[in-house]
Amino acid sequence: MATLTVGRIAMKIAGREAGKYCTVLTAPKDNFVQVTGPKVLTGVKRRRCNIEHLEPTKYKIDIKKEDSDNVVMKALEKEGLVKKLGLKKPSPEIVKEAEKSKKSKKTKKKDEKEEPKKKKVKKEAKKKSSKTKKKTAKKKK
Amino acid sequence: MVRRSLRSRSLKRSQKKVPGGRTVTHYRRKKPSKAKCAKCGKPLQGVPRKRPSDLKKLSKTERRPERPYGGNLCSECMREVFRKKVRED
Ligand SMILES: [Zn+2]
Repeated sequence: MATLTVGRIAMKIAGREAGKYCTVLTAPKDNFVQVTGPKVLTGVKRRRCNIEHLEPTKYKIDIKKEDSDNVVMKALEKEGLVKKLGLKKPSPEIVKEAEKSKKSKKTKKKDEKEEPKKKKVKKEAKKKSSKTKKKTAKKKK
Repeated sequence: MVRRSLRSRSLKRSQKKVPGGRTVTHYRRKKPSKAKCAKCGKPLQGVPRKRPSDLKKLSKTERRPERPYGGNLCSECMREVFRKKVRED
């Protein structure tokens, strides 16, 4: 029986990614491992995964712990596993787009952090306006 | 005699006592049986018990679990299918 070690190719057997191949990136810890497709190649997102939801195959690639998706992809091509597992190599454009979307997500998060400050300013302005309204109301009385 | 559309035997009938003391027949559509796993026959989770025409009104994600063989095999049988596939290779 093959075991789940760094570089082992496994199949996901639970959830929406069931039936898709992935590469194990870490040794099991508390029943969990880190896995990646990579997503552009097999459709499995880089994520934590319960080892009971994985079925190891006999294939293995030579990578280090938690290597990036690009390194994993190159290793898979080198071993000729892309063809063996019946996968389609994604076009370079798709790979670039995926990288771009990752970067844009990171920048978005930064924007979100900036937003609350603006809101506070607005709230203060509202308070002032409400106070002035009350004052005017009192004056009317 | 009731109206023609109510004479169909595909309608379920029930006898109800109305406040006026009369007993009347109520008609309603029969409910289809529960969806079952094609392999082990276990009732499937996440598949609504509705007529085909009503199922069409739901979104695709509301009709079956969003995994391979969703709405056909139960999760355990699906796992067996993929385990077998990996071990045969
Ligand atoms: Zn089953």
